[in-house]
Amino acid sequence: MMLRMRDRLRPAFILFIIIAALTPLIVGKPFWLDNSILIAVFSLMALSVGMSYGQAGILSVATAGFASVGAYATSIVTAHYGLSPLLGLLLAIILPMLLGYPMARAITRLSPMPLSIATLLLSMVLEIAIREGGDFTGGYIGLSGIPNLPFASSLEAMHVLSWSIVVVVIALYANLTHSAIGRAVKTARHDPLRATADGVDVPKILASYFALSAAVAGVAGWLYAHHLMYMGPDSLTIHVSIKTMLMTVIGGAQTFLGPVLGAAFLTMLTLYLPASEAQGMIFGATLVFVLLVTPRGILGTDWLKLLSRSKKRETPIADVTRTSERTA
Amino acid sequence: MYELMEFVVRGAFLGVIYGLLAFPISLVFATTGSVDLAVGAYTVLAVAIAWAVGGPAGIVFGIAAAVLSSAIVGFISMRLNRPGTFDHITAVLGTFGLATFLESFILTVYGKDPMARQMFDTFWDVLGVRISPQALINIAVCLLLLVALYVLLYRTPFGRMMRASAINPLGAALNGIPVQTIWFCTYLLGGFLAGVAGILVLYTTGADYSTGLQLTISGFGAAIIFGMNSPLRGFAGGLVTGLVQVLSSAYLPGGWVTAAPMIFIFVVLALGPMNRIAATGGRV
Repeated sequence: MMLRMRDRLRPAFILFIIIAALTPLIVGKPFWLDNSILIAVFSLMALSVGMSYGQAGILSVATAGFASVGAYATSIVTAHYGLSPLLGLLLAIILPMLLGYPMARAITRLSPMPLSIATLLLSMVLEIAIREGGDFTGGYIGLSGIPNLPFASSLEAMHVLSWSIVVVVIALYANLTHSAIGRAVKTARHDPLRATADGVDVPKILASYFALSAAVAGVAGWLYAHHLMYMGPDSLTIHVSIKTMLMTVIGGAQTFLGPVLGAAFLTMLTLYLPASEAQGMIFGATLVFVLLVTPRGILGTDWLKLLSRSKKRETPIADVTRTSERTA
Repeated sequence: MYELMEFVVRGAFLGVIYGLLAFPISLVFATTGSVDLAVGAYTVLAVAIAWAVGGPAGIVFGIAAAVLSSAIVGFISMRLNRPGTFDHITAVLGTFGLATFLESFILTVYGKDPMARQMFDTFWDVLGVRISPQALINIAVCLLLLVALYVLLYRTPFGRMMRASAINPLGAALNGIPVQTIWFCTYLLGGFLAGVAGILVLYTTGADYSTGLQLTISGFGAAIIFGMNSPLRGFAGGLVTGLVQVLSSAYLPGGWVTAAPMIFIFVVLALGPMNRIAATGGRV
């Protein structure tokens, strides 16, 4: 179904209006500006999960890994060599793609299950590489002295910049999803054989889409590094991946605004949570709970429909599973 | 030469534990088509509880805790695998959520310290290779379970139902096999095996709260080397994985020690039988 330009841009437009309305309320309040920027960073990472998991059906645990590649790329370029952060941005986009595409190509000849294990391996290897990187990555101590962005040196400017990036990414993402490529990805996810019959090169298109989602995570890492001005081995760990995954699932992995909503909700929630040791329990339990109750997320569920027919549903005795899913 | 021998022996001892972990992963995969990423977490839970309680009671409680948590995962997966809802990836995400929960739970309750116990102080000297009596216990337990599982899968009506619901769930259901119950039992069996593996880990290498994911990965690697669909091959895969791990820690420089086994598993993933399903969505 071809949507008109106006409809395709609607999610980005809605987000733009919300941010425009909220911005005057938080100008001059460093605490809220800081959190707003963090929400924008996590929104980008959650959108990356939304692209790979929601659209392409690839469960990636390497979101934070790709983000840390982007973050370390720009940190090393700017802090070590004093080069422009824009070069860092370029690297933060390209490097995760260079890492993600061949990996997805090597693994997905169509099996999302091994690929999700591979992303787990990748993020573990990346964490080791960062720790063992010596002076280059700062090792266990991390890299400090990352400059802030010359064109967005105040918190307000950073807030505007990060949300502009989110709005642009959502606009592009929505446009891509409604294009022929987006429809091909959806078909490839649900029925690879059908997609192949339609002339879609399934492994190639899934790997490209995965690489694209990695690039979005890389941009998030770029913002993260220049906002916090420090990168360490504990900054973007696998736990951050789990958190972003939770954000995406809560908001609605297949929607455009769901990941942003989830990011805002969880970031605010984290402010009031107890010790970080116990956070994993809360996140893990919430993830399972959300998957059980609203597997499509808050924005992806048709609540009225759900309430009106919830009593009629019956579960058959056996699960009829398609072979294409079983051999995943 | 003796050094190499010792490493090979040690790798084999570690490998039988991975073989034990490979079994639940490939069993759940063969029966339900889903992967249980929380297997390592059950193992560490069994380690933690057996370590805290201590003695034979600890062993019982540890295994019981692992079975209980696998029952929770089984319940979650059953709910997530209902027809009309989502694909298996969602179920995998659910098990991942539970793994996170368990890891954080162990960290909160039992702290960061490594948990290990030793049953024997003596070592036997066999041809210049030092062998702990524990190693023989590990091998005996693993072989016993292997035989028991073989009998269960291929010589009992329950095993036949299990294999039937793995090959064709719909056909099995039409023949009156309670497929959902069988699936649930598969998870329970997996939890039991992971619990036993946990007890062996406690008395062999020890573990801390963060070992869970590594164990899952090692077990998964062991399961995929010689093919996911036959659970018994996982033991051989476990031996290979254990060898790679011990040999890389012996001969590779610092940073590579933990990375090398993972890269090895990645290569297996890329080249292995699981990836040979052509671009037909598995309809081969």
